[in-house]
Amino acid sequence: MFDKRLLIVSGKGGVGKSAVAGAIAIEAARRGLQVLAMGLTDPVGIAGHLAAPHARYEPLQVRPGISLVVIDRARALDEYLKLQLRVPKMAPTGQLTRALNLLVDTAPGVREIISIGKPVYEVWKDRWDLVVVDAPALGQLRSYLRAPETIAGLVPAGAVREQAASIGRTIADPAVAGLVLVTTPAELPVVETLESLHDLEVDAPIEVTRIIANRVLDPLDVERDRLAQVPDGPARSAALLHLDMVEDQHRWLARLPAGIRLPFLFGTLTPEEVAARLSEELGAER
Amino acid sequence: MTSPRTRTIVVTGAGGVGKTTLSAAMAIVAADEGARSLVLTVDPARRLADALGVGPLGNEPVEVSGHPGLWAAMLDVTASWESVIHHYAEPDVADRLLENPFFRAIADRFPAAQAFAASEEMAQLIESGVWDVLIVDTPPSGGGIDFFLAPRRTGDLVGGKLLLWLTGARLPARRALYRITARPMLRLADTVLGGPLLEEIAEFLLDLRTMYDGLRTRARTIERHLRRAATIVVTTSDPTPLREARRFFEELTDVEVIPELVLFNRALPAEWVTAADRPIRGVPDAELRSVLKMNLRRWGAEAARQQAARREFSNRYRVDPATVPWLPTPPATMAELGALVRQSARLVDLVRRGI
Repeated sequence: MFDKRLLIVSGKGGVGKSAVAGAIAIEAARRGLQVLAMGLTDPVGIAGHLAAPHARYEPLQVRPGISLVVIDRARALDEYLKLQLRVPKMAPTGQLTRALNLLVDTAPGVREIISIGKPVYEVWKDRWDLVVVDAPALGQLRSYLRAPETIAGLVPAGAVREQAASIGRTIADPAVAGLVLVTTPAELPVVETLESLHDLEVDAPIEVTRIIANRVLDPLDVERDRLAQVPDGPARSAALLHLDMVEDQHRWLARLPAGIRLPFLFGTLTPEEVAARLSEELGAER
Repeated sequence: MTSPRTRTIVVTGAGGVGKTTLSAAMAIVAADEGARSLVLTVDPARRLADALGVGPLGNEPVEVSGHPGLWAAMLDVTASWESVIHHYAEPDVADRLLENPFFRAIADRFPAAQAFAASEEMAQLIESGVWDVLIVDTPPSGGGIDFFLAPRRTGDLVGGKLLLWLTGARLPARRALYRITARPMLRLADTVLGGPLLEEIAEFLLDLRTMYDGLRTRARTIERHLRRAATIVVTTSDPTPLREARRFFEELTDVEVIPELVLFNRALPAEWVTAADRPIRGVPDAELRSVLKMNLRRWGAEAARQQAARREFSNRYRVDPATVPWLPTPPATMAELGALVRQSARLVDLVRRGI
C-alpha cells in the first residue's frame, strides 16, 4: 500500500474513512515519505484528523512530512483551465467562467474530473512520494472514478477529452494508484462494499489495493455460559452486548476479502487522537 | 386535492444511522394501532426487506403479508422523474428530455434529483388520500437535508439564473439557440470542449424550462406537505451524523421545517457511566470479575462520550432528544422491529398522535 504514489480512500458514509485516510498519511510520513493529504469534497474530514483547521487550496505543511490541501471548486476550475487546458489569460474571464460553471453544474463528469484531476496533477508534479485522498463516500465514488470515461463519451475531441484520458490512465495504472475501501463489520457497510467491489471488477477503473475493516471489537475473554452466574446489572449487560456484537461483527468480517483490521476505539477522543491511534495499527503494513 | 387525514412522519438524518429500520418499525407500530399505514423506504437492507416479508418493491405500495394494514413501497427515482416529466412537459418535449443524455445524467447523479423524486412521491401518496399514516424514509444525500430543499432547488435549476443569462430573459425560439454560441466567450468555451456541447446543454435546459411554471407550483405544494408533516431527525452520537443533524437546526430555517423530535439511535444505558467506577458485586471469581470490570470501564467510557454528545446537542439547540437503545444486531423480525420503537414512549406517542 505504501509503495503507491496515489491512494484514494473511500467507504460508506460514517465508517471513518477520513480518519483512516489521516492515519495512512501519518504512518506514511513516519516512514519518511513526503505526503500530500487531500480532502476531495469534505472540508472538515481529513483536515480535522490532522489537526489542521485552516486547510487551504495551496499545499500547507501541517506537520513534518505531511502537507494538506482541501479542494476549492472555483480554484480547481481555474487551475484546470489555466494549467491543464492552457487556456490563455484573457479579459474578461468572468464570462468564460460562468459558461464553464454552467457546464460543471450540468454536464455529467465535468465536476468530477475537475476534483479527481487535482490529486492526479499533484502526482504528475513529482513533488510528493504519496498523495492520500479522502474521497467522497462509496455512493458517489463511481461517478468520480468513471469521470474520464463519461467525458470521453460526451466530448468527441479536444483538450478536455485528452486531459480526461490522461487522468484516467494514471488512475488505472496499478503501479501508481490504488483504492482503499474502508468499511465497518456490519450489514449495510459490508453489503455496500461487496457491491462496490463487484462493480469495480466489471469496469475496473482502478485497482482495489486494500480493504480496511474499521471499528473491529476485540474478543472478550469470557464464555457466554459463565455470565449465567453474574447477577443482572451493567457489568453483565455490557459483557453480553460485547459478546453479541463480536459475534455479529465476525459474521460480516467473514464475508469480506482479507484485509486490514482496525480496532474500535472506546470513549471520548479528538479526531486527531483517533487518526494517531489508528496510524499505530498500520505499522506492520507493507 | 390534499387529504388532511394522512398523518405524515418524515424520518431523516445521515446515512447509516438506522433511519430505514426505524421508519419500518414505526409503520409497524402504527398498523398495530389499527391505522392503514405505509412506509416509503429508499433502499432497505436485505434483512429488513426479509423482516417485512416483501420481495422487490417499487413505487407501487405492496401489502405486507400477514400484517393487516401495513404496506411498504420503495422509491424508484427514474420512474418518479418520468412521471414528473410526463405530467409537466408537452409530449414531444417529454420524449426529447427522457432520451437526452444530460437528463439521464442529472436524474442518476444530481443529489437533488433523487431527493425531489422522493418528495414528489410523498406528495402523491398524501394526495391519494388512502393512508392514515405515511412514514417517509428520506434519501441520505446531504444528511437528509436535500429532501427538504429539493423542491425549491429543482425549481431553481429549471429556472436557473445561468439559463436566463444564457438564453436571455424571454424564452427564446429554438432557432435563437444558434446565436448563443456566436457569443465570443462561449465560442471559446466551445473550442476548449472540442464540440458543440454548450449548445446541446442549452437545448436541454430550454426543454426543461418549459416545465418551469408547473414545477414551481408543484414545489410550493410539496413544501406545504412538508411543513405539515412531523419531522424526526435520527442520529447517533458519532461526529459525522451529528454534524449532519446540526444542519437541520442551522440551514432549514428558511423552509420553515422544524424537527419535532431528535432521536439518538444506538444509545448505551446512561447508568453504565457511573456503574463503571463502582465495584462489581456478586461475582466471586476474581479473574471473571476483572474481565467484567475492564469491559464495563470501556463501555462506560463509550456511554459517557454518548451522553456528552447528547448534552452538547440539546444545550445548543434547546431540544430534548429521545433515545433508542444500541442493539447488537439489527432487529430481524416484525416483533423485534415493533419492540424497538416501543422502547421510546415519545416515539410511540408521535406515531399515535395522528391515529
